[in-house]
Amino acid sequence: MASVEIRSLTKWYGGSRGVEDITFAIEAGEIFGYLGPNGAGKTTTIRCIMGLLRPSSGEVCVLGRRVAPGRGTQHGRIGYLPGEFRIWGRPKARTSLGMLADLGGDRSAAARRKALAERLDLNLNRPVGDLSKGNRQKVAVILAFQHQPDVLILDEPTAGLDPLMRQVVLDMICEAARDGAAVLLSSHDLSEVSAICGRAAILRDGRLVEMAPISEILQQGEHRLKVWFKDGVLLPEVPLWHLPGVRVVEREPGVLHVAYQGTADPVLKWISQFPVDRVTTPQTSLQEAFIQYYQQQPGSITRTGGALKGSRS
Amino acid sequence: MTRLDRPPFPLTLLRFWFLRLLPAWFGIAAIIFLMQIAIAAIVHDNANVRTFLGFLRLLPSIVRTALGGDMLDSGNMTALLTVGYQHPFVMFLYMVFAVGTPTGLLVGEVQRGTMELILSRPITKTQVYICAAVLTLVGMFCLVMVMFLGTVAAVHIYTFSEPIDLNLFFRLAMNGGLLASTFGAFALLCAASLGRLYSAIGVAVGFLTLNYFIAIVAAWWPKMEFMRKVTLFYLIYYSDLWQRWPVENMAKLAAILVVTAIVGGIIWRRRDLSL
Repeated sequence: MASVEIRSLTKWYGGSRGVEDITFAIEAGEIFGYLGPNGAGKTTTIRCIMGLLRPSSGEVCVLGRRVAPGRGTQHGRIGYLPGEFRIWGRPKARTSLGMLADLGGDRSAAARRKALAERLDLNLNRPVGDLSKGNRQKVAVILAFQHQPDVLILDEPTAGLDPLMRQVVLDMICEAARDGAAVLLSSHDLSEVSAICGRAAILRDGRLVEMAPISEILQQGEHRLKVWFKDGVLLPEVPLWHLPGVRVVEREPGVLHVAYQGTADPVLKWISQFPVDRVTTPQTSLQEAFIQYYQQQPGSITRTGGALKGSRS
Repeated sequence: MTRLDRPPFPLTLLRFWFLRLLPAWFGIAAIIFLMQIAIAAIVHDNANVRTFLGFLRLLPSIVRTALGGDMLDSGNMTALLTVGYQHPFVMFLYMVFAVGTPTGLLVGEVQRGTMELILSRPITKTQVYICAAVLTLVGMFCLVMVMFLGTVAAVHIYTFSEPIDLNLFFRLAMNGGLLASTFGAFALLCAASLGRLYSAIGVAVGFLTLNYFIAIVAAWWPKMEFMRKVTLFYLIYYSDLWQRWPVENMAKLAAILVVTAIVGGIIWRRRDLSL
């Protein structure tokens, strides 16, 4: 049984579309990346999972229970970090976090809160209003983790954190997944998504345009070749009209950087006519794959891929 | 959702909100309490009463109506003491609490972004609404009781030349509390229905002010007397409150209060919050 299951979720805000026909599932122990440009519908999906919004159609199940909007379904077992974290400014961080933990009747959260604060190097005895943006984000991270949840819904968990703290938070997410928590990670930092997520979904204009293991997403779309010609060889013109799907990324003295779609065979055959020193294949970054998905024409090309549970690639 | 699935009542939230409201409530209660003592300090002495009445006669007739109307001209000390119950400043303080509490707790938390945190915990939207409703309605009644205690204290501090019927003041306080709580329930309804803090405050204050001015104008201007029944104030102003408990009017007020609060709760539960 999946920890989080979304079936044909659609949410309309009056006449405008929030998300449409979203279907995916997150297994226990899996870190699932949820990507998309601003306004794509990531926060809408997350709020439907949390029961903060009433779906127009479809259903959401968390830990085997159908989410009833506004009823706090399974919230004692969910750690939630909202994308735009705002908390009462005047009370101490300890007071606000304590109140929110007590709402779940979790009396044992205090010890974990203290340990998390030490790990994140945060003074909980200061009013939240006096904390810097980064430290407020640490409060948000503690809020999500303090009751040892079985499901983590994290919207930009490392926003505003320095690289050291960012790594600590990523480690915490991986540890939680190893302990069996299902994690939904929405982030614009694609390097962290590719570092810790096993699988990701890409959202555009409220629709899922891709859902696959990260390794598979990285292989989608364009591939790159960097060709080093032998010394003294004049850089040839690429016959683009003969090589469909090929484009020149960059020309440097003696080096040609090309991108191609589909098979590499035509490009390699054309290159073989020239005296070549070496050919390298730079790895496609998630960012490039991500941008390509956004540049595609609208239309759902949803498909599902196998789950890679909590892996760090 | 079965009873077992329902999260326990969030006393933690109730306590958290109560502590946040307490300074404002205490400030308003202190002013209302002291106001009763101050009014009693003026009216307990015959010489002061004459000066006070002279001052009242200088005021425009509509303002005199707002303070108690012809009843004050009799020089009756009990009637004069009720000025402390219907003084526009006291009304304003009640309005601040009645409107500020539910709007601040419901729409205010939504607009601050903290409602999202509250609702991310095992708590239902209905429970959040009940917490706001309890603090609004109980807070209003407690304010009214403080006002009554102010009168009790004043009667013990000062010597009056005629007996003061504290039962009458208790009746006034209870009915005033019911009316104030009904306005509180209307403010709850606004807070539950409207997405913006200032819209909720604006509609609630507008409703309350309109009621108040229609009541005053209807009492002051004979041609407008037909309007008096359209305001909620009619249920305490024009009753036989001075002689006995106006059970029928109290039941009407209680019914309006309960229905308004329940409608607010249903709207709050069903609508998507603009988080």
